[in-house]
Amino acid sequence: MTLTYIDWLIMLVYFAFVLGIGFALKRYMRTSNDFFLAGRSIPAWVCGLAFISANLGAQEVIGMGASGAKYGIMTSHFYWIGAIPAMCFVGIFMMPFYYGSKARSVPEYLRLRFDEKTRALNAFSFAFMTVFSSGISMYAMALLIQRLGLFRGVVPDAYVFHVSIVLSAVIVLGYIFLGGLTSAIYNEVLQFFLIVAGFLPLVWVGLRNVGGWSGIKQTLPASMTHSWHGMAHANTNPLGVEWIGLTMGLGFVLSFGYWCTDFLVVQRAMAADSELSARRVPLIAAFPKMFIPFIVILPGLIAVSVTSHTMASGPAVQVSTAAPLDQQHPHGIIPQKTDPITNKPVVDANGAPVYDYDLAVPTMLLHYFPTGMLGLGLTALLASFMSGMAGNVTAFNTVWTYDIYQAYINKRASDAHYLWMGRMATIGGIVLSIGAAYLATSFNNIMDALQLVFAFVNAPLFATFLLGMFWKRTTGHGAFTGLVAGTFGALLHHGLTIPSGYAPGIHGGWIATIHTYPSDMAQNFWTAIFAFTINFLVTVLVSTASAPRPEPELVGLVYSLTPKPVEEHLDWYQKPATLAFAVLGMLVILNLVFA
Amino acid sequence: MGLDIRIPLGLIFLIIGAVMTVFGFFTHGDAMYERSLGIDLNLIWGLIMLVFGAIMFFVGRRQKWQDDPVDPRPWESPDKTKLRH
Repeated sequence: MTLTYIDWLIMLVYFAFVLGIGFALKRYMRTSNDFFLAGRSIPAWVCGLAFISANLGAQEVIGMGASGAKYGIMTSHFYWIGAIPAMCFVGIFMMPFYYGSKARSVPEYLRLRFDEKTRALNAFSFAFMTVFSSGISMYAMALLIQRLGLFRGVVPDAYVFHVSIVLSAVIVLGYIFLGGLTSAIYNEVLQFFLIVAGFLPLVWVGLRNVGGWSGIKQTLPASMTHSWHGMAHANTNPLGVEWIGLTMGLGFVLSFGYWCTDFLVVQRAMAADSELSARRVPLIAAFPKMFIPFIVILPGLIAVSVTSHTMASGPAVQVSTAAPLDQQHPHGIIPQKTDPITNKPVVDANGAPVYDYDLAVPTMLLHYFPTGMLGLGLTALLASFMSGMAGNVTAFNTVWTYDIYQAYINKRASDAHYLWMGRMATIGGIVLSIGAAYLATSFNNIMDALQLVFAFVNAPLFATFLLGMFWKRTTGHGAFTGLVAGTFGALLHHGLTIPSGYAPGIHGGWIATIHTYPSDMAQNFWTAIFAFTINFLVTVLVSTASAPRPEPELVGLVYSLTPKPVEEHLDWYQKPATLAFAVLGMLVILNLVFA
Repeated sequence: MGLDIRIPLGLIFLIIGAVMTVFGFFTHGDAMYERSLGIDLNLIWGLIMLVFGAIMFFVGRRQKWQDDPVDPRPWESPDKTKLRH
């Protein structure tokens, strides 16, 4: 692929702005609160866009496009069943406790509500996970730049990977070091609009090419264009999950666990300028979030709808007139997977070619975009990688400084010292991320292993927060043992089950195989359900057996003991609940349209 | 924070939009637009970006950004003793 000066110019403009925002904000960073909490002064809509942008990282854009190409519109369940209801819940019910308790981070809320050990457990596991996620983001970005040959002719091939890693690290480090969370949030807003600006024309031109949504429906099998097709049983849909596993595992446990407890996203809402704004943040974010599938999943679907015939003969030929696709494995313009070492196409056990679905979105960009627009498309892609990294780094420096450094290493330092520590933690976090990225290059399995660790740690979390916020009898001992038990429950469930088609090992069944799931996604969802249930039961049991905390201490931390947020001065349409109903109403419509 | 995000947001869209519009204008009808089905994406999308950037920039200039943080800031309220170690 060859880029011209115009593509480079667009990318350069973006990088100049990213760093420029950091410099412009530097003078406002006077206290640690300015650096870690953005001075709690950001308007709700800005936080809302940052809220989704922090999550719109590499895994999301590349992964959802790949999943759209592989499974079809069913991927939208990650949004329409998964994310959105959880975002409504965190805004309406949980934000008053996060914001109102004056905790500066999610682990700190756990200390206020429970005790020191629960906070420590959460803080350490969270810090570990953010560093590795940001490293994986960096690794994915460098790998993609290398595979697309983005720097060809500028940097010798052998160094492309290293240059990409160092460049992305330096830029993200630069703007967070200078402007802290404010800088990250502002850049995430920029990134959000650039991602939309870069991908919307792709969908527009792509849809024209394949004859619109009706054209896609004609070309692809019905299971790929109907989100609820065959959901009654695990064996009749491509995900291999039945509706119970989907709604409980993905819709309830995993999504609520992520959107309601992950400090990476909650931190954005906690930067809002008032409690009311903080509650509105996830709800405002839910509106654009609902339509993100159209810019990240749809390109994947379009990529498999285009046949190679249309590529050569130009715009005149429509897909409907081209040769019918293989009904089982439509692959469209998705390239074959090649071995990174030998550069030979990879084939599966039967000798059939393997397709690299991760390249669905980048291939689409190269297929449809002329010079100039291509520069913008690649800028959007790079912006998404960076927002994912920056989100992790800001969450890491806050948890490190407030929940690890201030809590256990240096309790009584001056505020200026903690501000300095935050900047150092930013450097440290980035250096560790680079380490994680290189670790991923040398051990192929480390990515799978880390995803597993994340799943085990995250899956039970939501039960702890649910009980902590809504059942005043929950105790610190209960929460701690419940969390540990839930994580071990997840580990045990994973060791005893296996997705079909895999050998025992990293995919499961390493203790014994007592159940086989139709897909790894089904196994993943059910692991979460088990972890949640075990945590819930153990927390309740241990809590009833241990001494409760006096009720006055729990005011502002537990639902039944906290005065309801004052909303009398608001008109009905200004209330968070109205927003939530509007969001959920639109969600039902979307689910019905694509059912 | 004293910087209204809409101003840099408007500016970046104005600059990139302008670059794409000018480039699209001079390459109109070029063979490379066969990729985008004959649509001059640079010109059309560049113009749309210009309009969006202009709106953001002028709204950002016009409206007063809430410069002063909420007073008192949440951590400055009287019962802050609960939080500090």
